[in-house]
Amino acid sequence: MTMLALTLLAPMLAALLVFASRRLPEILALAGVALGLLGATAQLVAVAGGKTLLIILPFLPDMPIRFEATPLTATLSLVVATVAAFVVLYAAGYMRQDPQRVRFFGTLLLFVTAMQGLVLSGDWITLLATWELIGFASYLLIGFWHHRPGVAAAATRAFLYTRSADLGLYIGAFLLIGVAGTSEISATLATTGTPALIAGLLLLVAAMGKSAQVPLQDWLQRAMAGPTPVSALLHSATLVAAGAILLIRVAPMLPGGALLAIGAVGGITAVITGLMALAEKDLKRLLAASTSSQYGLMLVAVGAGVPFAALLHLIAHAAIKSSLFLGAGVFQHDRNSTGMAALAGAGRARPGIFAGFALSALALAGIPPLAGFFSKDAVIAAALASPAALWLAPLALAATVLTGAYMGRVLRVLWVGNKGEKPKPVPYMAAGLGVLVGLAAVLALAFTPLDRFLEADMAEAGLLAPALGLLAAVSGLALGWLFTPARLLGPVLARAQRGFAVFGGMDGLMARPALVIAEACERLEKWLYELVLGVGRINLLLGWLARKTDTKGIDGSIFGLVRQTIATGTRARKLQSGFIHREMALAVIGMAVVAALLLAAPLYS
Amino acid sequence: MIVELSVALSVGAGLFAVGLYGALSQTNLVMIMMGIELILAAALVNLVAFWRYLHPDVISGQMFVLIVMTVMAVEMAVGFGIAVARFRSRGSVEMEEARELKG
Repeated sequence: MTMLALTLLAPMLAALLVFASRRLPEILALAGVALGLLGATAQLVAVAGGKTLLIILPFLPDMPIRFEATPLTATLSLVVATVAAFVVLYAAGYMRQDPQRVRFFGTLLLFVTAMQGLVLSGDWITLLATWELIGFASYLLIGFWHHRPGVAAAATRAFLYTRSADLGLYIGAFLLIGVAGTSEISATLATTGTPALIAGLLLLVAAMGKSAQVPLQDWLQRAMAGPTPVSALLHSATLVAAGAILLIRVAPMLPGGALLAIGAVGGITAVITGLMALAEKDLKRLLAASTSSQYGLMLVAVGAGVPFAALLHLIAHAAIKSSLFLGAGVFQHDRNSTGMAALAGAGRARPGIFAGFALSALALAGIPPLAGFFSKDAVIAAALASPAALWLAPLALAATVLTGAYMGRVLRVLWVGNKGEKPKPVPYMAAGLGVLVGLAAVLALAFTPLDRFLEADMAEAGLLAPALGLLAAVSGLALGWLFTPARLLGPVLARAQRGFAVFGGMDGLMARPALVIAEACERLEKWLYELVLGVGRINLLLGWLARKTDTKGIDGSIFGLVRQTIATGTRARKLQSGFIHREMALAVIGMAVVAALLLAAPLYS
Repeated sequence: MIVELSVALSVGAGLFAVGLYGALSQTNLVMIMMGIELILAAALVNLVAFWRYLHPDVISGQMFVLIVMTVMAVEMAVGFGIAVARFRSRGSVEMEEARELKG
């Protein structure tokens, strides 16, 4: 439990110290991730000894915060800690000249903390929170050089893509919590039937966003706008891995339908982004597309029902891809560009770095005895053994060929060309790179113990899968070395370079529906506005009527009565002469009339 | 001596004619009021004559005459009050000049 806390707290406290003291960020960051690595290692050792480490903190009623180190999570945690430690070592050299090092290392440590939290989380609420945190931290890191043109847009794009897909995680997680009545992940995995299918598909959507699967792959290539250590971390063990890790963790729950969908998404992504990588003109963007492709392969393994193969490939890929990015970062430093044309011959100028890069590239392509061979082997074996082998296996093999092809192409571009003047040595970067390359090479030794440790049931390898995998890898490497992408891809090249903008690409799939929704909302808004205005108008009319009734009706009748009375009085005054004799004469005449009537009474009665 | 009812009524009628003439022909407020007094007196003469000759046993006739006489006195007091006030303010009680109440 102490080790678990150390794993989580070391990077977090280091981040706080970096932000609070604002000095020595490299040292503090290195200390933080080193302690984290120590904690993660000790934690794995403890778990291997048969213990389950658990931290429960009080939180929502009946839903405490749980961090747990099971064999799976402890392994993943060690992967994260290892990659993080060496990427930070590399970044200490890479960011040496940057005036914003404090911000960089602080955010990087936050990112590592969040990822450790995500990997070790034992309940959905914590998982959601850490999932959000890595999204936020990656936004900050991708947009680190926000003053450069296009960087802020790339960061926003990455954030929005992953955020939109996160909706799947939210609904899926709350569905699982609702069905199982508890937020504990291991308990919710007992869900079966339709809820499991729906939740599985929703979680797939979330994983598609985070792991940059077709059709949400576009943001990952643009995220290359961030510093290279960030790309290395992002692509290997953290942000992008989160999607695959999520699926690996929930794999026991997934019913056949969800597995089918996962396999389809993974297979299609593996091939399509592989083609994009082959057609790419920029080294970092190529590596980004390759990341999507490799995560596609992991999804194929999950879809084939062998999440352990996906885990192996994830671990191997973490080491390989981080070392590839670190190597690419060195070349980028030399040539101040990541364009393939500008990098021609950059490898020959630094034989040591190039050797490491080439070793990782061969490992990714799947050449024995490097790690990638065994992990890819496991994936292909899983695809062959799965019920959907008919289409999963060809997709996995095609992706393997493509991996070899684009790696062959990269190696050729870096080797063949003018090597230029001798560059300065880069000790920090070389150290970080060296360790990760070493891991990429020898990691395979750990696979068999890991297999036993996790008690995973691997698909029976046989001879077919390794033979097919090796054949595909070698033929891919040869194709990539010998032929240009234009000759390999032919008419597909132009489309691949545009990122296979099917249905208008992301614009068609996300932007336009969003715009349609926005327009509908606007119409609703306008309608509501009209409604409110209408109610207001009716009220005004009522008020106007009331005023009219008051002024014209009540006031009018009263004032009219008064006016009529005054007019009558005025007319009646005319009778008054003020001349007393006339009044009296009139009185006499009146009396005479009365007397005459009385006297005449006998005549008419 | 027995005086006939018709004689008494004739006296009353004569008195009324004199009063009416006086009220209509004079311009002086005092003279007009004297005419009106004569008219009232004529009415009283008639009233007394009718009582004396037709219903001598009912005393309400006498009472009525007394009340009318009281009213005459009050009326005269008010009328002369107005005349004095007018004379004080205007120096004249000629009714030809008093047209302020014309509507």
